Amino acid sequence: MPRKAALAILSFAVIVAAMQAPFVPARFRFTTMPYRKLVEFQPRALLLHPPVYEIVEPVYRPHEMSRNAVPGLSDPTGNLRHFYSALWRTEQRAPGAVTRVLHYGDSPTTADSVTADIRTLLHQQFGDAGHGFVLIAKPWAWYGHRGVDLKANGWHIQAATMGRAPDGFHGLGGVSFIGETGASSTITLPSGHTRMELQYLEQPDGGTAQLTSGDTDIGTLNTNGNAKTPRFADFPLPPGANTVTLRVTEGTARVFGWSFEKDHDGVVYSSLGLNGGQVEAVLWYFEPKQWTVELRHADPDLVVINYGTNESVYPDYVNKTYEHELRALVDRIRAALPTASLLIMSPMDRGMRDSNGDIVTPPVFPHLIAVQQKVAADTGCAFFNTFEMMGGAGTMAKWYSVQPRLVSADFMHPLPAGAAIVGRLVEEALVKGYAEYKAANHLGDSPVTAAESRAPSAPAPATKRTSAH
Amino acid sequence: MQLTSPEYFVLLALVFFAYWFARHTGKLAVAVILCANYFFYAKWHPIYLGIIPLAAACDFLIGRALGASKSSSGRRFLITLSILLNCGLILTSHYVPFLLDPFTAAHPGLAGLEWLLPLSLSFYAFQAMTYTIDIYRGDATPTTSLLSYLASVSFFPTIVAGPITRVATLIPQIENAGLTLSAEDGGRALFLIGLGLVKKLLIADYLGENLVNRVFDLPKLYSGTETLLGAYGYTFQLYYDFSGYTDIALGSALLLGIVLPANFNRPYAAINVADFWRRWHISLSNWLRDYLFFSLPGQRSRRRPYLNLFITFTLGGLWHGANWTFIIWGALHGTGLAVVRGLQAMRGKRKPKPGLWLRLVCIFVTFHFVVLTWVFFRSANVNTALDVLRQIDSGTVSFANVTPGFWMVLAIAVVAHYVPQSWYTASVNAFTRMPAPVQATALAALILGIRYVAATGSAPFIYSRF
Repeated sequence: MPRKAALAILSFAVIVAAMQAPFVPARFRFTTMPYRKLVEFQPRALLLHPPVYEIVEPVYRPHEMSRNAVPGLSDPTGNLRHFYSALWRTEQRAPGAVTRVLHYGDSPTTADSVTADIRTLLHQQFGDAGHGFVLIAKPWAWYGHRGVDLKANGWHIQAATMGRAPDGFHGLGGVSFIGETGASSTITLPSGHTRMELQYLEQPDGGTAQLTSGDTDIGTLNTNGNAKTPRFADFPLPPGANTVTLRVTEGTARVFGWSFEKDHDGVVYSSLGLNGGQVEAVLWYFEPKQWTVELRHADPDLVVINYGTNESVYPDYVNKTYEHELRALVDRIRAALPTASLLIMSPMDRGMRDSNGDIVTPPVFPHLIAVQQKVAADTGCAFFNTFEMMGGAGTMAKWYSVQPRLVSADFMHPLPAGAAIVGRLVEEALVKGYAEYKAANHLGDSPVTAAESRAPSAPAPATKRTSAH
Repeated sequence: MQLTSPEYFVLLALVFFAYWFARHTGKLAVAVILCANYFFYAKWHPIYLGIIPLAAACDFLIGRALGASKSSSGRRFLITLSILLNCGLILTSHYVPFLLDPFTAAHPGLAGLEWLLPLSLSFYAFQAMTYTIDIYRGDATPTTSLLSYLASVSFFPTIVAGPITRVATLIPQIENAGLTLSAEDGGRALFLIGLGLVKKLLIADYLGENLVNRVFDLPKLYSGTETLLGAYGYTFQLYYDFSGYTDIALGSALLLGIVLPANFNRPYAAINVADFWRRWHISLSNWLRDYLFFSLPGQRSRRRPYLNLFITFTLGGLWHGANWTFIIWGALHGTGLAVVRGLQAMRGKRKPKPGLWLRLVCIFVTFHFVVLTWVFFRSANVNTALDVLRQIDSGTVSFANVTPGFWMVLAIAVVAHYVPQSWYTASVNAFTRMPAPVQATALAALILGIRYVAATGSAPFIYSRF
């Protein structure tokens, strides 16, 4: 028997045993050795095809249960009626009935994560009226929309969350692009789009830009004007076009984004993500008048406000200032779009390591969700509790441990399979809410004219934005 | 059972005392090792208690037959049989889930179907093949003891991820009834185990948890500099993970008086790719060289060895998994080795010793070539790897996601990698000279420190899945 090694091992065992004693301070105490685990034989096997992650049914508070028939979606004042009536017109195939949604969010939205899944599902059910809004270039490598390829060079990029435009003119999507002669962008998207709109700033000494699709000239844009004014230029696209190139041909042009639609009814779901996006970024760094013009021109039936993850990093801000700022943001959108439906969508769960190494939800998170819920209730907005619908606190820990994983190693950004789950939850809630709206208003599959007469709020305009203003 | 788990160390302590009590009897000590081996396998899945003894018994009999056979065709048949058997084990444990995936995905009713081999049998099969191929080539003689063979070929510290040890060198050590453990070797073994825990739990897991995993999940979310740091971080994470595992395996074996081959020798100090492979996963590169590269035809031709290098390392990449990322990783190394061989051939016998600056430049270039290949090795697919490279190429500068802790651990990882070998030797000597209770106290303090600082659960060893 090697004496010294044996003595060292025995001494180590004695120390470890002693360190488990109750009198040892907790921070130095060893956890009791699970000797039983040594003789436990629990065969492990590889699942050949991992099962789909099971969504945990959320637990609701009783007062919510009584007035909330759609899981996760709270709309006590019927704020979503405008959106539902637009969906009704779209579903009835009313001529030119397009339902438009603007989804403002943070980094997952920037990558069209979750929103792409909602868009796809809504398109499947109500028709595809086009991709909607896309920025001119990628302000962040992470920026991207599903099915859309974007190549650009020569743009000076100013995002509301980073390198901001001093005048606060960030367009609809929160980013301003300034291009000298030669700056260009090429977007490739699924074919079938029949028209596009370029959103730009008219300004003194503004330059000109050329739009082409392959070898076909689409139009010319002159951005010169007497004063800084947000403008919108519509262009028809050649049949079968799936690529559009914008090139600054003279001087300096400042543009905000382009929007693509098709010539038939359906849903246009615009994903408007800002990396590091927060309520305060929109409130402080979107110039209010310019943003109002952009919102009114977009004329959405539903605006989704989907922030909170970045705010959760600052508990003091959430405790003291967040409610006030979220309320102010809702008021600003209301003032710009008095008839549009407004949905506050809570952030997804977020994980962080605690001192034991466990992945836990930050303590401030439930409070942040409660603030959003309160503001929604007070201001008459609808509220979707993404956090609860995912399974509540600790969901990201579960999503990180399942195989294949559903969330990235930052316990914050969902991987495609996780985003699809959240997208499905949101879409299902909206569709269930819509079904309830139809049932409550006795809207069966009757013709649109009969439906309109019973619809509780004015239907969405059938056609929009035919001229620049 | 992971080599960092408390259960493993309880098992190791029990085996240590049982083994040394039985050592003077010879066969009983070998039986203790065999029981420990099969206990270790059974902890993964009892099915191994059927597969491993059966496969090992076949190789034992093939080895005996090879030793007895004089017929070259008979010997070729026997060695082919052994290679097919062991390659079959590798393919079965590695690729069946991959091959069945489209089928099970297409049939939702099979969603719960399980594959019963959670532990790769690669390292077992590599070791088993060293035995029969060595006998076939006349480099070893077959053992007459089935017990010794079974205990050696599935020696428990090497099961999960090597080092791949020639069975012919293990058998004499395991059979040696006069084997002893000096106080120095005992201290060295405990030092290696402690060092392995530090490498794995304090450095590798920290780097992985705090930047690397995030960057490789969604590279486009991070700036160019953060992504580059993620790639550097993975380079050191993989080294400290794998060499940490190897240190624990070497220390465990040494506690039983058995010396396993070294697997690492400061690989990121290599001056070219060939030098890197003499320092990285040495037991695998030796295995690939001795049993695959030398077996390929055309070794004496001028050009064929270049192609053979490429084939050898591409197959080595494919062994890591059925993914283009591994194939690209292997192909890049094969190409790098062929280029180095070509340059050396052009230089001929003139081999002036490079000066310090040239040496530093060579280390820098080789290191970055290796980092590039690790990007493919770590990425989930080729698109992710290209995203990582594009992000690095974007030149965007931000360190917002890099914490001071990550900087500190990465700096420690780099410095510890390049410190002179004499520092390491001095540390080992200082530890071995300590009285046993002091050694035990130092190890207990280390465990406490790891628990206090690491603050994360231990991730599985990266190489355990290969």
